[in-house]
Amino acid sequence: MTIEFISEEQREALQEVANIGMGQAGASIAKVLGEFVELSVPQISAVGAAGIPAALAALAGDGIASAVRQAFIGELRGEAIVIFAEHSADDLAALLAYGDALDGPASRELLLDISNVLVGACLGGIAELLRTTIGFSAPSLLADQVASSQLLRADGISARCALLVEVRFGIEKRVFRCHLVMLMPDDAVAALRRALDRFVEEL
Amino acid sequence: MSVSVLVVDDSAMARKMLIRALPPDWDITVTQASNGAEALAHYRQGVVDVMFLDLTMPEMDGYQVLETLRREDLNCLVIVVSADIQEAAQARVRAMGAIAFIKKPVDAERIKAVLKEYGLLV
Repeated sequence: MTIEFISEEQREALQEVANIGMGQAGASIAKVLGEFVELSVPQISAVGAAGIPAALAALAGDGIASAVRQAFIGELRGEAIVIFAEHSADDLAALLAYGDALDGPASRELLLDISNVLVGACLGGIAELLRTTIGFSAPSLLADQVASSQLLRADGISARCALLVEVRFGIEKRVFRCHLVMLMPDDAVAALRRALDRFVEEL
Repeated sequence: MSVSVLVVDDSAMARKMLIRALPPDWDITVTQASNGAEALAHYRQGVVDVMFLDLTMPEMDGYQVLETLRREDLNCLVIVVSADIQEAAQARVRAMGAIAFIKKPVDAERIKAVLKEYGLLV
């Protein structure tokens, strides 16, 4: 997939900045869970609005998934979405020794908490590197155990196109898997481009 | 004689950030590789005194490079440079023979301190 609205240099800078943010997020949840967290190489792509639900479904893979969304505001703004593979909440509960039978509300609460830690550390780290500050809305549940193709509906997206920054977290020998996706509408990408140019110039 | 340095990272940006953070007065020849397999290929072609090694890379990651170096009894000083800053990651790479772990974003002073500690820089 080609990236039409950021340059190759900006994409490389974003990838490295996302990599560092992801590392900070990974270290944060590793501490919370007491487990070694496996990290991926961040992927960056540009997608049209109509393609966003399919892109998220592709990340989640076949089957059931849940998702939490959190808006971020400031010079950089957009939506962070954390997609959890099926049974991730139960796995988290087991790791945190909550007992094996989590009821619905407790299980949702857990996903919100973990998302909050991931998004805060990852995007906070990115913002710090880009010398800007961002604020976050409270996390809310976007989808609760739905087919991955139903995670997000195309008509719920206001942007024409979006920049998708994806990082993946997993835990060795566990089913827990999640993806963090940053969606930035095209009119917010100009600010991101400026911040990335600044970052590259200061290198 | 100048020190042969190999910088291994899949991100050209990260390699640039690291190379700029190296002490300006350090007499070195720098070679770059964008994954573990390339790094080992470079290594086998000649001398590498110091390798700055990223962990998360496609093709062959940093852990696999460390494993290969150890298994094949290859000899160079490996400094891991990673965004994966989990304590367990740091402990793992040290157990696998890396002499130091430097967190991204890299800090020039920290690199200098490590180089001095190992007598690579006076």
